[in-house]
Amino acid sequence: MHHYLLRGSRYVLILAIGLLVNNKLSAQISIKGTVTDNNNQPFPGVSVIVKETANGTTTDATGAYSITVPNKNAVLVFSFVGYPSQEIAVGAKTEISLSLSPSVGQLNEVVVVGYGTQKRKEVTSAVATVNAEQFNKGNISDVAQLLQGKVAGLSISKPGGNPNGGFTIRLRGLSTLGANASPLIVVDGQVGADLNTIDPNDIQSIDVLKDAGSAAIYGTRGSSGVIIVTTKKGGRVSAVSYNGSVTTENPIKFTEHMTAAEYKAAGGRDLGAVTDWNKAITRNALSHIHNIAFSGGSGGGTTYTASVNYRNGQGVAIKTGFDQVNAHFGLTQRAMKDKLNFTLDVSTTRRSSQFGFDRAFQYATIFNPTAPLHTTDPALNYTGSGYVEQNFVEYANPLAVLEQNTNNGVNKRTNINASATYEIIRGLKFQVRYAQQNTTNNIGIYLPKTSFDTRLIGTNGAINGSGYTRKGLAQKQNDEGYTQLYENILSYDKKVTEKLNVSAVAGYSYQDFAYNGSVLQAGDFLTDVTSENFASASDFKNNRSFASSYKNGSKLVAFFGRLNLNYNDVAFISASLRREGSTQFGANNKWGMFPAVSAGVDLGKLADISFVNSLKLRGSYGVTGALPPNPYLSLFLYGPTGNNFLYNGVYIPAYEPTQNANPDLKWERKAEFDIGLDFSLFNSRLTGSLDYYNRQTSDLLFNANVPVPPNPTNRKWMNIGILENTGVELLLGYDVVKSKSFSWNTSINFSTFSIKLAKLNAELAGSYVGASNLGSPGQEQTEITRAVEGEKIGLLWGPVYRGINEYGHFLFDDGTGKTDTIGGYKTKIGNGLPTFELGWTNTFHYKNFDLNFFFRGSFGHDIVNTYRAFFESSQSTVIASYNVVNTKYFNPAIQSGQTFSSLYVEKGSFIKLDNATLGYDFNFKNGGAIKGLRAFVNGQNLFVITDYTGVDPEVRYSYGGNILAPGVDARDTWVRTRSFTLGVNLKF
Amino acid sequence: MKISSFVKCSLVGIVLMSSCTKLDETELLYDRASNLNFGVTDAEVVSLLAAAYTNLYGSFGGDGSIMRVEEVPTDEIVVPTRGPDWGDGGHWVRLKLHTYLPNDAGPENTWNFLFKGVNSCNRVLSILEPIGTPASLKFISEIKALRAIYYYWLVDLFGNVPISTDFAKTDPPPNNTRKEVYDFIEKELLEVLPDLQKTGPNDNETYGRVNYYTAQAVLAKLYLNAEIFSGTAQWDKAIAACDDIINSGKFALTANYSDNFKKDNKGSTEFIWVIPYDEVQATGFSLPHMTLHMESQETYKMGGQPWNGWASVQEFYNSYIDPAQNPGPQGTVVGLDPKGTPIQGTTDKRLSNFLVGPQLKSDGATPLTDGAADVTDPDGPQIHFTPYVNELQPGAWRQSGARIGKWEFYKGMTGQLSNDLALFRYADILLTKAEAQARKANNWNDPAALALVNQIRTVHGGVTPYSTMTATSFLGERGREMFFESTRRQDQIRFGTYNAAFRFHPADADTHVNIFPIPASQLNANKNLKQNPGY
Repeated sequence: MHHYLLRGSRYVLILAIGLLVNNKLSAQISIKGTVTDNNNQPFPGVSVIVKETANGTTTDATGAYSITVPNKNAVLVFSFVGYPSQEIAVGAKTEISLSLSPSVGQLNEVVVVGYGTQKRKEVTSAVATVNAEQFNKGNISDVAQLLQGKVAGLSISKPGGNPNGGFTIRLRGLSTLGANASPLIVVDGQVGADLNTIDPNDIQSIDVLKDAGSAAIYGTRGSSGVIIVTTKKGGRVSAVSYNGSVTTENPIKFTEHMTAAEYKAAGGRDLGAVTDWNKAITRNALSHIHNIAFSGGSGGGTTYTASVNYRNGQGVAIKTGFDQVNAHFGLTQRAMKDKLNFTLDVSTTRRSSQFGFDRAFQYATIFNPTAPLHTTDPALNYTGSGYVEQNFVEYANPLAVLEQNTNNGVNKRTNINASATYEIIRGLKFQVRYAQQNTTNNIGIYLPKTSFDTRLIGTNGAINGSGYTRKGLAQKQNDEGYTQLYENILSYDKKVTEKLNVSAVAGYSYQDFAYNGSVLQAGDFLTDVTSENFASASDFKNNRSFASSYKNGSKLVAFFGRLNLNYNDVAFISASLRREGSTQFGANNKWGMFPAVSAGVDLGKLADISFVNSLKLRGSYGVTGALPPNPYLSLFLYGPTGNNFLYNGVYIPAYEPTQNANPDLKWERKAEFDIGLDFSLFNSRLTGSLDYYNRQTSDLLFNANVPVPPNPTNRKWMNIGILENTGVELLLGYDVVKSKSFSWNTSINFSTFSIKLAKLNAELAGSYVGASNLGSPGQEQTEITRAVEGEKIGLLWGPVYRGINEYGHFLFDDGTGKTDTIGGYKTKIGNGLPTFELGWTNTFHYKNFDLNFFFRGSFGHDIVNTYRAFFESSQSTVIASYNVVNTKYFNPAIQSGQTFSSLYVEKGSFIKLDNATLGYDFNFKNGGAIKGLRAFVNGQNLFVITDYTGVDPEVRYSYGGNILAPGVDARDTWVRTRSFTLGVNLKF
Repeated sequence: MKISSFVKCSLVGIVLMSSCTKLDETELLYDRASNLNFGVTDAEVVSLLAAAYTNLYGSFGGDGSIMRVEEVPTDEIVVPTRGPDWGDGGHWVRLKLHTYLPNDAGPENTWNFLFKGVNSCNRVLSILEPIGTPASLKFISEIKALRAIYYYWLVDLFGNVPISTDFAKTDPPPNNTRKEVYDFIEKELLEVLPDLQKTGPNDNETYGRVNYYTAQAVLAKLYLNAEIFSGTAQWDKAIAACDDIINSGKFALTANYSDNFKKDNKGSTEFIWVIPYDEVQATGFSLPHMTLHMESQETYKMGGQPWNGWASVQEFYNSYIDPAQNPGPQGTVVGLDPKGTPIQGTTDKRLSNFLVGPQLKSDGATPLTDGAADVTDPDGPQIHFTPYVNELQPGAWRQSGARIGKWEFYKGMTGQLSNDLALFRYADILLTKAEAQARKANNWNDPAALALVNQIRTVHGGVTPYSTMTATSFLGERGREMFFESTRRQDQIRFGTYNAAFRFHPADADTHVNIFPIPASQLNANKNLKQNPGY
């Protein structure tokens, strides 16, 4: 209704200006005023221009400006990067003061898309935006955590409480077999950036490009989606802020196992004491975070932001944690009457970590609960360390594992991102960007001479072993990564006619990547004291040392372009194309083409429905790619066999083929169709969007088995088949109560997943790929997952458990409806991927109080509880060695040896109260030293509702690195933890 | 180079220079060799030839090796499930029960190992054949012989395998019949024989490599099994091949049986072809890991922890100590009861093939104990290796089973032995000739055969010569001599006992299990391959 009026009046207005300007009938008016930010502080550097003219100025350090306009029909446009611009008609006013706010209404919100920005209303593909206010709060140590559960279709998971463990990020499930399944990261325009170079505190907003319509402009790296991070920018009058928090984190769920008394009663070996090994290796961990940020600007077109972030995190396992300092500096400089704009962002991070050893949790579950913490009994004091050790398979004292051995690392990252943009003519801009990232990683492990466990180091090709067997064993690892990005981008934005706005982008992108590193391992030290000095390791003299090194690199080159049309803010069309080549493709397929087209129409503007503010229907189709996961996969390669050959009485090196050639190797091609509806109803009280997508990934990359002969080796990287993926995503937000002193907003996001391995190539037809095995000890050949042609991804595979017979032996389905004791018949016994996921946020404001709580759930996935699969048996030969996992499924009548079956597959559905925050904003008078203070208390992982008996029902996206093997709860998972955080945000 | 290309492309990227869109990956190859830049120099060619051999090192003497399918299904070895250990999805048990599946690791790895060897040979041949110098021709014959030996194991284990001789041919090949494969091996070996060197075990140049006598030994074994492989017996040919070796004068039985297996056994007069293992340079003989108890680590001051798996069984051990089966001097030996109580029995010198009885720490005096010993094991915590194995699965005692002590275990070993491993040994040739003679004469008391067997009994075993012999007593003697040298499966098949009932193995329903299934992964990947009958 009022839209028509508005548009009508604007039409008249612009017409009038045109007339006036053309006729030079100028009756000039002087306007002045002050711009403030949303905290009522002066806002310098805001650009103020007279609409449709080149006449403009910027606000000074006090936020003040003055400008002369031709007449009272003029319109002033106030704009600042990262803020939506405001237009104000001059009319009879001579003073115009206003406040610019980054928190904006949904429709005018700025959405960062590939190589540009759009207003929310213009977006024609599936793009989600999460602003700083919506980020998860509390004990946040990773950027991914900010988003967990916030975006429909974006799954972020980290089972267990390892402070040095990474998060798995999946957008719309899985759309790849062998390529990178994590989304592409873009930070402030830098493609392929590293999330770990940014501190979560420095982030302004995160945009997620979900469909191929929006991601196709990123070509060969767009298939798993794109996450675009925008960091906080300077601009206001010298602002200083401090954010600090203290967190206490406690283990709340261990793998259930027998107590000392139960263990003894069940026939376990009694060593005389009562020990809870999980308690012995865990603690109440304390962490603190401090962030100081400065920002400001000068009237001369300079704005800056600088921040220092310090994080100190303890792990709940003893002797684990990290210490991290990150600094970020961002500078913007305008020149040549604002036609030239330079930006520079530099960040540096140093993180030193105590990783500990994940195996300690496995040992804590199975180690004899009657063993004392320390011993002097020579029968138990096996290595003389004073810890009880016994010679069972994969069995060691968990306390000794963490207390005796060191596994520490230092990770350093620096990132430089610089750009220069020149406005050649009005609306036409040319940008040059250069960025580089440097990452170094040093990890040192030392197992002292009395350290018993043989499986703490697992370097491929080395002898490995324990500190005890190797008389002290040291390993040093160094890795270095270096990438450079260079881009030229030409962009054009023009209102072609009264109703039609055109914007276009074209560019060239070059990126190279270089990695190198080495591992050294040696033992036989006279004393543990000199463990950092390899010269004191006798292994070098005895030919028992191990060394390896690597260096590799790759290049990406691309040309891209996009055209956007906006017809009268009613209809929108966007089309893009990227042509991209990579050194990692086979010689016959170096270049790929990635097109996309999308369109949207605001039905709310076409039909006048009283309760509709906007109702946009949009559809997109696009093609994205995925790169082979490593360089050189298309080449025929030779490498040393590892063994030397006795030739004329001396040993000489032997070389053999290590990889089959595939000159046809190409990108995975994902074609995606997305149809969506964005709506804003009842005075924007109810907002949301609904998406349906259908993806087809063809030319799936996989390291497939090939016949020998004719192939020299039995694996080859090939494009092997088609994956189909459909889903529905719904985001709903509702202002339940909206009044001055009290408000309640509730929002829900919901997403469904269905991923199928639709087809395999002719040579693999009817077959399966990606099988994984349960693992060591003793189950290295026990297949538990596979991906089968025509079936959903995530299949758990094995015999179907049907009970036990009178001897306590397992009975399995034999495939004909009867039972047998062998378990030779194997079939689908579950699926590791969820069918739907849910996030539910509630935000309350009452006067100065705010309360936010957030539930998150995944439903329909199954989990192989490997703790049970390995350690549930109380059969006499087993309980003599291992403590028993005794969940509700524990059945002492079972007398069979370990046999994997559906008995160990559990429903993983859960809902968690993931995060709850209560905050209070203190009032301060204007002009005081302190401009703002907020204090909050936060709880994370407050409760979980699930049937799963393991420590954490989170979706497991891979097992041993195999992404086709989701749904396996590995035994190195840390315990589940709960944390409470007390924090303040202070502004000066 | 990278920097300059980057600078160049940055500066002129706008102009779209072709050099900035060049995506040749071999320019970025720093730590690996590709077919474009490798195989050029003599040393590189020899390194490729070397790989055709070293492929064997890692694939013959280890836990997951060819030895696994040669030994575990027979009556001389068992890998029992010891509580939580050695279950491995049941594939060890399936080997024992002859219920192996096409996707079991045993057949799968063995196929890959052997065809990798065949392919290595084909690749080396494709490089050598165009050269045409005398030195290259000599290599060609040697590599063709090596390829024929890989096929000798393939025809034995899988039977109907594809014959692949052309490295450039990339079509997935179909099966050949077992007879065709047999004919191919015979033809190839006979063709190259004249070009191979007639060197003995002390010749440095060919030690560890295939020479004339290696080819003759393979022919002898091929002919010995010709009836199984091709349907037609070839006793005369077998005898002729053996005679060629015996009459060369290059080989002789060692006075001490165990000299063939000690750490420094290089150049033993019985070695026709060996893998020259070395704990640093040439690893893969991981017998200490496979057979020793975890606690034995202390006894030998090992650099790694053993896995307590492979062992022999009571009946096989008994064939050494039972005076009826093996007449000879009597003395105290470890007995067959669950405690391994010493009894009177034959003291065959070849009992050094086993580690049995109480175990001691490295000081040679203190008893070795296992704090984690099975409570039901009557030996108690002091470690006794007993020939008695209580059950195949799931609860075999940690200390049960006579351990494989044939190759000398030495203090400070890593778990990878330095002892060379004979693939073809002179004693085997003597027994091959004896068997061929007896079978040709259709008389196990054929004097020539009896003399050969008794030569081995007296020199190696120090036991009483047989006065008469039967098929059973011959097989018993072959077993004692050739224990754990990967001949037992072949021998049991030839003597018809492979499919009979023996310890932990009920009788097979039929003989399809005498060759292994073709691996499922190969059938998946190669539609031209057909599975062996019965699987």
